Amino acid sequence: MIRERLRPLASQAKRGYVRLMLEVVGRSMEAISQVDEQVRGEVSVLPNGFLFAMRVMPNGPALVMRKQRDGSLQYIGGDSAQKPDLSVQFKHLHHAFMVLSFQEKTAQAFANDRILVDGDLGYATRMTRVLNRLETFILPKLVAERAVKQYPDSLGLPEKLINGARIYLKVVTNFVDTVRSS
Amino acid sequence: MSYYEFFCPVKVIAGQAALEHVPYEFSSRNCKRPMIVTDKGVRAAGLLDKVLTAFEEGGMDVTVIYDDVPADSSKQTVKAIAKEYRSKKCDAILAIGGGSPIDTAKAVNILVSEGGDDIAKYSGAGVLTRPLKPFIVIPTTAGTGSEVTSVAVIADTEKEVKLAFASSFMLPDAAVIDPRMTLTLPPHITAATGMDAMTHSVEAFTCMAKNPLSDAYASAAIKKISANLPKVMKKPDDAEARLEMAQASTMAGIAFSNSMVGLVHALGHSLGAICHLPHGLCMSLFLPYVLEYNLESIREPLSELLLPLAGPEIYAMTPKSQRAEESIATIRKMRDDLYRDCKLPRTLQETGKVDKSQLDRIAQATIDDGSIMFNPREATLEDARAVLEKAWG
Ligand SMILES: [Fe+2]
Repeated sequence: MIRERLRPLASQAKRGYVRLMLEVVGRSMEAISQVDEQVRGEVSVLPNGFLFAMRVMPNGPALVMRKQRDGSLQYIGGDSAQKPDLSVQFKHLHHAFMVLSFQEKTAQAFANDRILVDGDLGYATRMTRVLNRLETFILPKLVAERAVKQYPDSLGLPEKLINGARIYLKVVTNFVDTVRSS
Repeated sequence: MSYYEFFCPVKVIAGQAALEHVPYEFSSRNCKRPMIVTDKGVRAAGLLDKVLTAFEEGGMDVTVIYDDVPADSSKQTVKAIAKEYRSKKCDAILAIGGGSPIDTAKAVNILVSEGGDDIAKYSGAGVLTRPLKPFIVIPTTAGTGSEVTSVAVIADTEKEVKLAFASSFMLPDAAVIDPRMTLTLPPHITAATGMDAMTHSVEAFTCMAKNPLSDAYASAAIKKISANLPKVMKKPDDAEARLEMAQASTMAGIAFSNSMVGLVHALGHSLGAICHLPHGLCMSLFLPYVLEYNLESIREPLSELLLPLAGPEIYAMTPKSQRAEESIATIRKMRDDLYRDCKLPRTLQETGKVDKSQLDRIAQATIDDGSIMFNPREATLEDARAVLEKAWG
Protein backbone atom coordinates (compact mmCIF):
# COMPACT_ATOMS: atom_id res chain seq x y z
CA MET A 1 0.00 0.00 0.00
CA ILE A 2 2.61 2.47 1.06
CA ARG A 3 4.86 1.51 -1.84
CA GLU A 4 2.09 2.23 -4.27
CA ARG A 5 1.76 5.71 -2.93
CA LEU A 6 5.42 6.46 -2.70
CA ARG A 7 6.43 5.35 -6.16
CA PRO A 8 4.71 8.01 -8.21
CA LEU A 9 5.93 10.56 -5.73
CA ALA A 10 9.48 9.38 -6.20
CA SER A 11 9.28 9.46 -9.97
CA GLN A 12 7.73 12.89 -9.79
CA ALA A 13 10.63 13.99 -7.69
CA LYS A 14 13.02 12.45 -10.20
CA ARG A 15 11.36 14.28 -13.06
CA GLY A 16 11.44 17.52 -11.12
CA TYR A 17 15.08 17.02 -10.27
CA VAL A 18 16.07 16.26 -13.85
CA ARG A 19 14.16 19.25 -15.19
CA LEU A 20 15.77 21.53 -12.64
CA MET A 21 19.24 20.11 -13.15
CA LEU A 22 19.01 20.50 -16.91
CA GLU A 23 18.31 24.16 -16.36
CA VAL A 24 21.16 24.43 -13.86
CA VAL A 25 23.48 22.72 -16.31
CA GLY A 26 22.30 24.92 -19.17
CA ARG A 27 22.79 28.17 -17.29
CA SER A 28 26.12 27.12 -15.83
CA MET A 29 27.33 25.99 -19.23
CA GLU A 30 26.47 29.40 -20.62
CA ALA A 31 28.40 31.10 -17.83
CA ILE A 32 31.41 28.84 -18.00
CA SER A 33 31.62 28.99 -21.79
CA GLN A 34 32.17 32.76 -21.44
CA VAL A 35 35.17 32.50 -19.18
CA ASP A 36 36.79 29.09 -19.08
CA GLU A 37 39.56 28.64 -21.64
CA GLN A 38 39.28 24.87 -21.66
CA VAL A 39 35.57 24.95 -22.38
CA ARG A 40 36.07 27.70 -24.96
CA GLY A 41 38.68 25.53 -26.61
CA GLU A 42 36.25 22.64 -26.85
CA VAL A 43 33.46 24.84 -28.15
CA SER A 44 35.66 26.70 -30.63
CA VAL A 45 35.47 23.84 -33.13
CA LEU A 46 31.67 23.87 -33.30
CA PRO A 47 30.21 25.86 -36.19
CA ASN A 48 28.44 29.13 -35.43
CA GLY A 49 24.78 28.66 -34.59
CA PHE A 50 25.41 25.00 -33.68
CA LEU A 51 22.46 23.67 -31.69
CA PHE A 52 23.09 21.12 -28.93
CA ALA A 53 20.21 19.40 -27.18
CA MET A 54 20.13 17.03 -24.25
CA ARG A 55 16.81 15.38 -23.72
CA VAL A 56 15.01 12.62 -21.89
CA MET A 57 13.10 10.20 -24.09
CA PRO A 58 10.36 10.14 -25.16
CA ASN A 59 9.12 13.67 -24.42
CA GLY A 60 10.90 14.42 -21.21
CA PRO A 61 12.70 17.48 -20.02
CA ALA A 62 15.37 18.92 -22.30
CA LEU A 63 18.07 21.52 -22.50
CA VAL A 64 19.10 23.33 -25.66
CA MET A 65 22.30 25.33 -26.18
CA ARG A 66 23.42 27.41 -29.14
CA LYS A 67 26.98 28.29 -30.13
CA GLN A 68 27.28 32.07 -30.35
CA ARG A 69 29.40 34.18 -32.66
CA ASP A 70 31.61 35.19 -29.72
CA GLY A 71 32.50 31.57 -29.10
CA SER A 72 30.29 31.01 -26.08
CA LEU A 73 27.28 28.78 -25.60
CA GLN A 74 23.88 30.34 -25.06
CA TYR A 75 21.21 28.60 -23.04
CA ILE A 76 18.11 28.57 -25.24
CA GLY A 77 15.85 26.87 -22.75
CA GLY A 78 13.99 23.64 -22.47
CA ASP A 79 13.14 23.30 -26.14
CA SER A 80 13.71 24.66 -29.59
CA ALA A 81 11.65 24.62 -32.75
CA GLN A 82 14.74 23.97 -34.86
CA LYS A 83 16.20 20.48 -35.19
CA PRO A 84 19.41 20.34 -33.15
CA ASP A 85 22.73 19.58 -34.90
CA LEU A 86 23.66 17.28 -32.05
CA SER A 87 21.21 15.71 -29.70
CA VAL A 88 21.99 13.31 -26.91
CA GLN A 89 18.98 11.50 -25.56
CA PHE A 90 18.69 9.54 -22.38
CA LYS A 91 16.69 6.39 -23.05
CA HIS A 92 14.90 6.74 -19.74
CA LEU A 93 14.31 9.33 -17.08
CA HIS A 94 16.18 7.17 -14.60
CA HIS A 95 19.40 7.25 -16.64
CA ALA A 96 19.23 11.03 -16.88
CA PHE A 97 18.70 11.13 -13.16
CA MET A 98 21.75 8.94 -12.51
CA VAL A 99 23.97 11.14 -14.66
CA LEU A 100 22.61 14.46 -13.48
CA SER A 101 22.82 13.45 -9.85
CA PHE A 102 26.47 12.57 -10.54
CA GLN A 103 26.02 8.91 -9.66
CA GLU A 104 26.99 7.79 -13.17
CA LYS A 105 29.65 9.39 -15.36
CA THR A 106 28.48 10.77 -18.67
CA ALA A 107 30.99 8.72 -20.66
CA GLN A 108 29.97 5.62 -18.73
CA ALA A 109 26.34 6.32 -19.61
CA PHE A 110 27.36 6.41 -23.28
CA ALA A 111 29.36 3.20 -22.84
CA ASN A 112 26.41 1.50 -21.16
CA ASP A 113 24.02 2.34 -23.98
CA ARG A 114 21.96 4.61 -21.74
CA ILE A 115 22.25 7.47 -24.21
CA LEU A 116 21.45 7.81 -27.90
CA VAL A 117 23.44 10.23 -30.02
CA ASP A 118 22.03 11.91 -33.07
CA GLY A 119 24.75 13.86 -34.84
CA ASP A 120 28.51 13.91 -35.05
CA LEU A 121 30.18 11.59 -32.54
CA GLY A 122 33.26 13.80 -32.36
CA TYR A 123 31.11 16.74 -31.31
CA ALA A 124 29.44 14.48 -28.77
CA THR A 125 32.79 13.69 -27.16
CA ARG A 126 33.55 17.41 -27.04
CA MET A 127 30.26 18.16 -25.33
CA THR A 128 30.93 15.32 -22.88
CA ARG A 129 34.21 16.96 -21.95
CA VAL A 130 32.40 20.28 -21.49
CA LEU A 131 29.92 18.56 -19.18
CA ASN A 132 32.76 16.94 -17.22
CA ARG A 133 34.45 20.28 -16.83
CA LEU A 134 31.18 21.79 -15.73
CA GLU A 135 30.75 19.17 -13.06
CA THR A 136 34.07 20.01 -11.52
CA PHE A 137 32.90 23.60 -11.25
CA ILE A 138 29.43 23.22 -9.88
CA LEU A 139 29.92 20.23 -7.64
CA PRO A 140 30.38 21.83 -4.23
CA LYS A 141 32.90 19.35 -2.83
CA LEU A 142 34.98 19.42 -5.97
CA VAL A 143 35.26 23.16 -6.21
CA ALA A 144 38.83 23.50 -5.12
CA GLU A 145 40.20 26.83 -3.99
CA ARG A 146 42.62 26.75 -6.90
CA ALA A 147 39.74 26.76 -9.35
CA VAL A 148 38.21 29.79 -7.71
CA LYS A 149 41.52 31.62 -7.83
CA GLN A 150 41.51 31.40 -11.58
CA TYR A 151 38.45 33.61 -11.64
CA PRO A 152 39.13 37.15 -10.41
CA ASP A 153 36.45 39.52 -9.11
CA SER A 154 35.99 41.14 -12.48
CA LEU A 155 34.09 38.09 -13.61
CA GLY A 156 31.22 38.90 -11.34
CA LEU A 157 28.41 37.72 -13.52
CA PRO A 158 29.46 34.16 -14.25
CA GLU A 159 30.60 33.68 -10.71
CA LYS A 160 27.19 34.75 -9.56
CA LEU A 161 25.68 32.24 -11.94
CA ILE A 162 27.96 29.49 -10.79
CA ASN A 163 27.16 30.34 -7.20
CA GLY A 164 23.53 30.31 -8.18
CA ALA A 165 24.00 26.88 -9.62
CA ARG A 166 25.53 25.69 -6.38
CA ILE A 167 22.59 27.03 -4.45
CA TYR A 168 20.27 25.26 -6.83
CA LEU A 169 22.24 22.12 -6.23
CA LYS A 170 21.69 22.35 -2.51
CA VAL A 171 17.97 22.67 -3.07
CA VAL A 172 17.78 19.80 -5.48
CA THR A 173 19.93 17.54 -3.34
CA ASN A 174 16.77 17.12 -1.31
CA PHE A 175 15.15 15.60 -4.36
CA VAL A 176 17.93 13.08 -4.58
CA ASP A 177 17.46 12.10 -0.98
CA THR A 178 13.74 11.72 -1.51
CA VAL A 179 14.26 9.49 -4.52
CA ARG A 180 17.06 7.45 -3.01
CA SER A 181 15.13 6.69 0.13
CA SER A 182 12.26 5.20 -1.85
CA MET B 1 26.87 -2.96 -10.36
CA SER B 2 27.45 -2.92 -14.08
CA TYR B 3 25.00 -2.80 -16.95
CA TYR B 4 25.56 -3.83 -20.54
CA GLU B 5 23.88 -4.64 -23.82
CA PHE B 6 25.07 -7.22 -26.30
CA PHE B 7 23.62 -7.67 -29.76
CA CYS B 8 24.66 -9.66 -32.81
CA PRO B 9 21.86 -10.77 -35.10
CA VAL B 10 24.23 -11.54 -38.00
CA LYS B 11 23.94 -15.09 -39.31
CA VAL B 12 27.47 -16.47 -39.58
CA ILE B 13 28.03 -18.87 -42.46
CA ALA B 14 31.54 -20.23 -42.09
CA GLY B 15 33.85 -22.90 -43.36
CA GLN B 16 34.40 -25.06 -46.37
CA ALA B 17 32.16 -24.25 -49.39
CA ALA B 18 30.48 -21.42 -47.51
CA LEU B 19 30.26 -19.36 -50.72
CA GLU B 20 27.88 -21.91 -52.21
CA HIS B 21 25.31 -20.93 -49.58
CA VAL B 22 25.04 -17.35 -50.78
CA PRO B 23 22.46 -17.86 -53.59
CA TYR B 24 20.17 -19.66 -51.16
CA GLU B 25 20.52 -16.89 -48.58
CA PHE B 26 19.29 -14.37 -51.14
CA SER B 27 16.48 -16.47 -52.60
CA SER B 28 15.25 -17.34 -49.11
CA ARG B 29 14.87 -13.60 -48.55
CA ASN B 30 12.94 -13.32 -51.80
CA CYS B 31 15.73 -11.39 -53.53
CA LYS B 32 16.24 -11.82 -57.24
CA ARG B 33 18.60 -9.01 -58.23
CA PRO B 34 21.41 -8.57 -55.74
CA MET B 35 23.99 -5.92 -56.55
CA ILE B 36 27.62 -6.79 -55.89
CA VAL B 37 29.78 -4.05 -54.37
CA THR B 38 33.50 -4.76 -54.44
CA ASP B 39 36.87 -3.41 -55.56
CA LYS B 40 39.41 -3.96 -58.29
CA GLY B 41 41.74 -5.90 -56.00
CA VAL B 42 39.06 -8.49 -55.27
CA ARG B 43 38.36 -8.92 -58.96
CA ALA B 44 42.06 -9.09 -59.86
CA ALA B 45 42.67 -11.77 -57.22
CA GLY B 46 40.02 -13.91 -58.87
CA LEU B 47 37.78 -13.81 -55.81
CA LEU B 48 34.85 -12.28 -57.64
CA ASP B 49 34.94 -15.17 -60.10
CA LYS B 50 34.65 -17.67 -57.28
CA VAL B 51 31.52 -15.93 -56.04
CA LEU B 52 30.04 -15.59 -59.53
CA THR B 53 30.64 -19.28 -60.16
CA ALA B 54 28.81 -20.11 -56.95
CA PHE B 55 25.89 -17.97 -58.15
CA GLU B 56 25.84 -19.51 -61.60
CA GLU B 57 25.92 -23.05 -60.28
CA GLY B 58 23.24 -22.04 -57.83
CA GLY B 59 20.98 -20.93 -60.65
CA MET B 60 21.03 -17.21 -59.84
CA ASP B 61 22.09 -14.53 -62.28
CA VAL B 62 24.05 -11.57 -61.03
CA THR B 63 24.44 -8.83 -63.60
CA VAL B 64 24.94 -5.69 -61.59
CA ILE B 65 28.47 -5.42 -60.29
CA TYR B 66 30.20 -2.29 -59.01
CA ASP B 67 33.88 -3.19 -58.71
CA ASP B 68 35.44 0.22 -58.38
CA VAL B 69 35.26 1.07 -54.68
CA PRO B 70 38.41 3.06 -53.77
CA ALA B 71 40.51 2.27 -50.70
CA ASP B 72 39.15 5.32 -48.90
CA SER B 73 35.54 5.35 -49.91
CA SER B 74 33.88 8.74 -50.19
CA LYS B 75 30.44 10.35 -50.22
CA GLN B 76 30.62 10.54 -54.01
CA THR B 77 31.29 6.81 -54.40
CA VAL B 78 28.29 5.98 -52.23
CA LYS B 79 26.10 8.31 -54.23
CA ALA B 80 27.23 6.82 -57.55
CA ILE B 81 26.63 3.23 -56.45
CA ALA B 82 23.19 4.06 -55.06
CA LYS B 83 22.28 5.60 -58.40
CA GLU B 84 23.37 2.45 -60.20
CA TYR B 85 21.38 0.28 -57.78
CA ARG B 86 18.22 2.26 -58.43
CA SER B 87 18.56 2.42 -62.19
CA LYS B 88 19.16 -1.34 -62.41
CA LYS B 89 16.26 -2.05 -60.02
CA CYS B 90 18.29 -4.19 -57.65
CA ASP B 91 16.70 -5.62 -54.51
CA ALA B 92 19.64 -6.61 -52.28
CA ILE B 93 23.35 -5.95 -51.75
CA LEU B 94 26.30 -8.30 -51.59
CA ALA B 95 29.56 -6.74 -50.41
CA ILE B 96 32.80 -8.56 -51.17
CA GLY B 97 36.05 -7.15 -49.83
CA GLY B 98 37.80 -5.56 -46.90
CA GLY B 99 36.67 -2.61 -44.84
CA SER B 100 36.17 -0.18 -47.67
CA PRO B 101 33.73 -2.14 -49.88
CA ILE B 102 31.83 -3.29 -46.78
CA ASP B 103 31.53 0.19 -45.30
CA THR B 104 30.60 1.55 -48.70
CA ALA B 105 27.90 -1.09 -49.14
CA LYS B 106 26.49 -0.29 -45.71
CA ALA B 107 26.23 3.37 -46.64
CA VAL B 108 24.74 2.52 -50.04
CA ASN B 109 22.15 0.40 -48.26
CA ILE B 110 21.12 3.43 -46.20
CA LEU B 111 20.63 5.56 -49.31
CA VAL B 112 18.76 2.94 -51.36
CA SER B 113 16.53 2.05 -48.41
CA GLU B 114 15.90 5.50 -46.96
CA GLY B 115 16.17 7.62 -50.10
CA GLY B 116 18.16 10.72 -51.02
CA ASP B 117 21.62 11.34 -52.44
CA ASP B 118 23.52 12.80 -49.52
CA ILE B 119 24.81 10.18 -47.12
CA ALA B 120 26.09 12.86 -44.72
CA LYS B 121 22.46 13.42 -43.73
CA TYR B 122 22.45 10.05 -41.97
CA SER B 123 25.72 10.37 -40.06
CA GLY B 124 25.74 9.87 -36.33
CA ALA B 125 24.15 7.19 -34.20
CA GLY B 126 20.56 6.11 -33.87
CA VAL B 127 19.41 8.06 -36.93
CA LEU B 128 17.90 5.05 -38.69
CA THR B 129 14.64 3.67 -37.36
CA ARG B 130 13.76 0.72 -39.58
CA PRO B 131 15.33 -2.26 -41.36
CA LEU B 132 17.19 -1.71 -44.62
CA LYS B 133 17.42 -3.88 -47.76
CA PRO B 134 18.74 -7.46 -47.49
CA PHE B 135 22.50 -7.30 -47.19
CA ILE B 136 25.13 -10.03 -47.16
CA VAL B 137 28.86 -9.62 -46.67
CA ILE B 138 31.79 -11.78 -47.77
CA PRO B 139 34.96 -10.48 -46.08
CA THR B 140 38.21 -10.95 -48.00
CA THR B 141 40.56 -9.65 -45.33
CA ALA B 142 40.80 -11.13 -41.88
CA GLY B 143 40.78 -7.93 -39.88
CA THR B 144 38.16 -5.25 -40.05
CA GLY B 145 35.30 -7.28 -38.60
CA SER B 146 33.00 -4.96 -40.55
CA GLU B 147 30.80 -7.93 -41.46
CA VAL B 148 29.44 -7.91 -37.91
CA THR B 149 29.60 -4.26 -36.94
CA SER B 150 26.86 -1.69 -36.99
CA VAL B 151 29.15 1.15 -38.00
CA ALA B 152 30.61 2.51 -41.20
CA VAL B 153 33.09 5.27 -41.93
CA ILE B 154 32.94 7.22 -45.16
CA ALA B 155 35.28 10.06 -46.10
CA ASP B 156 34.02 13.53 -46.77
CA THR B 157 36.87 14.36 -49.13
CA GLU B 158 36.08 18.07 -49.36
CA LYS B 159 36.22 18.66 -45.61
CA GLU B 160 38.93 16.02 -45.09
CA VAL B 161 36.91 14.44 -42.29
CA LYS B 162 35.48 10.99 -41.84
CA LEU B 163 31.76 10.64 -41.46
CA ALA B 164 30.74 7.98 -38.96
CA PHE B 165 27.49 6.06 -39.13
CA ALA B 166 26.12 3.82 -36.42
CA SER B 167 22.89 1.88 -36.32
CA SER B 168 22.05 -1.74 -35.67
CA PHE B 169 19.98 -1.62 -38.86
CA MET B 170 23.25 -1.43 -40.81
CA LEU B 171 24.26 -4.89 -39.64
CA PRO B 172 24.35 -7.40 -42.49
CA ASP B 173 21.82 -10.23 -42.55
CA ALA B 174 24.62 -12.72 -43.03
CA ALA B 175 28.43 -12.87 -43.00
CA VAL B 176 29.98 -15.53 -45.18
CA ILE B 177 33.42 -16.73 -44.11
CA ASP B 178 35.04 -18.95 -46.69
CA PRO B 179 38.75 -19.81 -46.39
CA ARG B 180 39.15 -19.46 -50.18
CA MET B 181 38.53 -15.73 -49.88
CA THR B 182 41.60 -14.94 -47.75
CA LEU B 183 43.98 -17.51 -49.20
CA THR B 184 45.64 -15.09 -51.62
CA LEU B 185 45.87 -12.10 -49.29
CA PRO B 186 49.40 -10.64 -49.69
CA PRO B 187 51.68 -10.82 -46.61
CA HIS B 188 51.66 -7.14 -45.64
CA ILE B 189 47.85 -6.96 -45.80
CA THR B 190 47.58 -10.23 -43.88
CA ALA B 191 49.81 -8.73 -41.22
CA ALA B 192 48.12 -5.33 -41.02
CA THR B 193 44.55 -6.66 -40.99
CA GLY B 194 45.56 -9.33 -38.47
CA MET B 195 46.81 -6.57 -36.19
CA ASP B 196 43.52 -4.71 -36.71
CA ALA B 197 41.64 -7.78 -35.44
CA MET B 198 44.11 -8.02 -32.56
CA THR B 199 43.51 -4.36 -31.68
CA HIS B 200 39.74 -4.83 -31.81
CA SER B 201 40.01 -7.66 -29.31
CA VAL B 202 42.46 -5.92 -27.00
CA GLU B 203 40.53 -2.64 -26.97
CA ALA B 204 37.21 -4.47 -26.52
CA PHE B 205 38.72 -6.23 -23.52
CA THR B 206 40.23 -3.14 -21.92
CA CYS B 207 37.92 -0.22 -22.72
CA MET B 208 35.01 1.24 -20.82
CA ALA B 209 32.16 -0.76 -22.29
CA LYS B 210 33.69 -4.19 -21.80
CA ASN B 211 31.20 -6.82 -20.70
CA PRO B 212 31.21 -10.58 -20.05
CA LEU B 213 29.98 -11.55 -23.52
CA SER B 214 32.31 -9.28 -25.48
CA ASP B 215 35.15 -10.42 -23.18
CA ALA B 216 34.52 -14.04 -24.18
CA TYR B 217 34.65 -13.24 -27.89
CA ALA B 218 37.68 -10.97 -27.48
CA SER B 219 39.89 -13.36 -25.56
CA ALA B 220 38.96 -16.30 -27.82
CA ALA B 221 39.83 -14.16 -30.86
CA ILE B 222 43.20 -13.17 -29.35
CA LYS B 223 44.05 -16.82 -28.77
CA LYS B 224 43.30 -17.65 -32.42
CA ILE B 225 45.24 -14.66 -33.77
CA SER B 226 48.31 -15.29 -31.61
CA ALA B 227 48.41 -18.91 -32.75
CA ASN B 228 47.55 -18.45 -36.43
CA LEU B 229 48.96 -15.12 -37.57
CA PRO B 230 52.54 -16.52 -37.48
CA LYS B 231 51.30 -19.60 -39.38
CA VAL B 232 49.73 -17.69 -42.26
CA MET B 233 52.75 -15.40 -42.45
CA LYS B 234 54.97 -18.44 -42.89
CA LYS B 235 52.64 -20.49 -45.04
CA PRO B 236 50.15 -18.23 -46.83
CA ASP B 237 48.18 -21.12 -48.38
CA ASP B 238 47.46 -22.81 -45.04
CA ALA B 239 43.67 -22.94 -45.49
CA GLU B 240 43.05 -24.13 -41.95
CA ALA B 241 45.00 -21.23 -40.42
CA ARG B 242 43.37 -18.78 -42.87
CA LEU B 243 39.95 -19.91 -41.71
CA GLU B 244 41.04 -19.51 -38.08
CA MET B 245 42.19 -15.96 -38.80
CA ALA B 246 38.97 -15.12 -40.63
CA GLN B 247 36.88 -16.47 -37.77
CA ALA B 248 39.01 -14.62 -35.22
CA SER B 249 38.44 -11.42 -37.14
CA THR B 250 34.67 -11.94 -37.06
CA MET B 251 34.78 -12.77 -33.37
CA ALA B 252 36.86 -9.68 -32.66
CA GLY B 253 34.30 -7.71 -34.67
CA ILE B 254 31.45 -9.06 -32.56
CA ALA B 255 33.43 -8.16 -29.43
CA PHE B 256 34.28 -4.58 -30.28
CA SER B 257 30.95 -3.74 -31.86
CA ASN B 258 29.43 -4.51 -28.47
CA SER B 259 32.03 -2.86 -26.30
CA MET B 260 33.54 -0.20 -28.53
CA VAL B 261 37.19 0.68 -29.04
CA GLY B 262 39.41 3.38 -27.59
CA LEU B 263 42.45 5.55 -28.06
CA VAL B 264 44.26 3.23 -30.51
CA HIS B 265 41.38 3.69 -32.92
CA ALA B 266 41.03 7.41 -32.23
CA LEU B 267 44.72 7.90 -33.08
CA GLY B 268 44.55 5.44 -35.97
CA HIS B 269 41.52 7.08 -37.57
CA SER B 270 43.29 10.44 -37.42
CA LEU B 271 46.61 9.18 -38.73
CA GLY B 272 44.84 7.28 -41.50
CA ALA B 273 42.86 10.32 -42.57
CA ILE B 274 45.78 12.75 -42.54
CA CYS B 275 48.64 10.57 -43.82
CA HIS B 276 46.61 8.11 -45.91
CA LEU B 277 47.96 4.98 -44.26
CA PRO B 278 45.94 1.73 -44.16
CA HIS B 279 43.82 1.26 -41.05
CA GLY B 280 45.38 -2.03 -39.93
CA LEU B 281 48.86 -0.58 -40.08
CA CYS B 282 47.73 2.42 -38.02
CA MET B 283 46.43 0.03 -35.36
CA SER B 284 49.70 -1.85 -35.22
CA LEU B 285 51.62 1.43 -34.95
CA PHE B 286 49.78 2.61 -31.86
CA LEU B 287 48.68 -0.49 -29.97
CA PRO B 288 51.63 -0.99 -27.56
CA TYR B 289 52.05 2.74 -26.88
CA VAL B 290 48.40 3.23 -26.02
CA LEU B 291 48.45 0.17 -23.75
CA GLU B 292 51.43 1.71 -21.96
CA TYR B 293 49.56 4.99 -21.64
CA ASN B 294 46.44 3.24 -20.30
CA LEU B 295 48.39 0.76 -18.19
CA GLU B 296 47.36 1.78 -14.70
CA SER B 297 43.68 1.90 -15.66
CA ILE B 298 43.73 -1.50 -17.35
CA ARG B 299 46.30 -3.50 -15.41
CA GLU B 300 43.86 -6.20 -14.40
CA PRO B 301 42.25 -7.01 -17.77
CA LEU B 302 45.57 -6.61 -19.57
CA SER B 303 47.14 -9.12 -17.17
CA GLU B 304 44.38 -11.59 -17.99
CA LEU B 305 45.12 -11.22 -21.68
CA LEU B 306 48.58 -12.66 -21.26
CA LEU B 307 47.03 -16.14 -21.28
CA PRO B 308 45.49 -15.95 -24.77
CA LEU B 309 48.39 -13.81 -26.03
CA ALA B 310 51.32 -15.92 -24.91
CA GLY B 311 49.89 -19.27 -23.85
CA PRO B 312 49.63 -21.09 -20.51
CA GLU B 313 53.37 -21.67 -19.92
CA ILE B 314 54.41 -18.06 -20.14
CA TYR B 315 51.29 -16.98 -18.26
CA ALA B 316 52.11 -19.35 -15.40
CA MET B 317 55.78 -18.37 -15.36
CA THR B 318 55.08 -14.66 -15.18
CA PRO B 319 54.46 -13.19 -11.71
CA LYS B 320 51.04 -11.62 -11.39
CA SER B 321 52.47 -8.14 -10.98
CA GLN B 322 54.33 -8.44 -14.30
CA ARG B 323 51.61 -9.91 -16.50
CA ALA B 324 50.28 -6.64 -17.89
CA GLU B 325 53.80 -5.54 -18.90
CA GLU B 326 54.42 -8.99 -20.37
CA SER B 327 51.24 -8.68 -22.47
CA ILE B 328 52.59 -5.47 -23.96
CA ALA B 329 55.97 -7.13 -24.54
CA THR B 330 54.26 -10.02 -26.34
CA ILE B 331 52.50 -7.59 -28.65
CA ARG B 332 55.78 -5.80 -29.32
CA LYS B 333 57.40 -9.13 -30.14
CA MET B 334 54.54 -9.87 -32.54
CA ARG B 335 55.22 -6.56 -34.28
CA ASP B 336 58.93 -7.29 -34.49
CA ASP B 337 58.13 -10.64 -36.13
CA LEU B 338 55.83 -8.96 -38.64
CA TYR B 339 58.54 -6.41 -39.40
CA ARG B 340 60.93 -9.26 -40.04
CA ASP B 341 58.39 -11.15 -42.20
CA CYS B 342 57.01 -8.35 -44.34
CA LYS B 343 58.49 -5.05 -43.20
CA LEU B 344 55.29 -3.96 -41.47
CA PRO B 345 56.42 -0.65 -39.91
CA ARG B 346 56.55 -0.45 -36.13
CA THR B 347 56.95 3.28 -35.70
CA LEU B 348 55.62 6.36 -37.46
CA GLN B 349 59.15 7.02 -38.61
CA GLU B 350 59.47 3.60 -40.20
CA THR B 351 56.39 4.23 -42.36
CA GLY B 352 58.26 6.95 -44.24
CA LYS B 353 54.85 8.54 -44.86
CA VAL B 354 54.50 10.71 -41.78
CA ASP B 355 56.10 14.08 -41.29
CA LYS B 356 56.81 15.16 -37.74
CA SER B 357 55.10 18.47 -38.40
CA GLN B 358 51.82 16.57 -38.85
CA LEU B 359 51.73 15.23 -35.29
CA ASP B 360 49.91 18.28 -33.90
CA ARG B 361 47.16 17.95 -36.44
CA ILE B 362 46.85 14.24 -35.80
CA ALA B 363 46.60 14.88 -32.04
CA GLN B 364 43.91 17.49 -32.61
CA ALA B 365 41.88 15.11 -34.81
CA THR B 366 42.32 12.37 -32.22
CA ILE B 367 40.52 14.16 -29.45
CA ASP B 368 37.67 14.85 -31.86
CA ASP B 369 37.29 11.19 -32.74
CA GLY B 370 34.27 9.41 -31.29
CA SER B 371 36.32 6.39 -30.18
CA ILE B 372 38.16 8.42 -27.58
CA MET B 373 35.06 8.54 -25.42
CA PHE B 374 35.38 4.91 -24.40
CA ASN B 375 39.07 4.95 -23.65
CA PRO B 376 39.53 4.02 -19.98
CA ARG B 377 41.74 7.08 -19.38
CA GLU B 378 40.48 10.54 -20.21
CA ALA B 379 42.94 11.53 -22.90
CA THR B 380 43.70 15.19 -23.41
CA LEU B 381 45.31 16.86 -26.40
CA GLU B 382 48.66 16.75 -24.58
CA ASP B 383 48.23 13.04 -23.83
CA ALA B 384 47.49 12.26 -27.47
CA ARG B 385 50.52 14.31 -28.48
CA ALA B 386 52.72 12.42 -26.01
CA VAL B 387 51.60 9.02 -27.32
CA LEU B 388 52.29 10.20 -30.88
CA GLU B 389 55.75 11.27 -29.83
CA LYS B 390 56.44 7.78 -28.43
CA ALA B 391 54.99 6.12 -31.52
CA TRP B 392 57.25 8.28 -33.67
CA GLY B 393 60.15 6.04 -32.67
FE1 LIG C 1 39.85 -1.29 -36.52
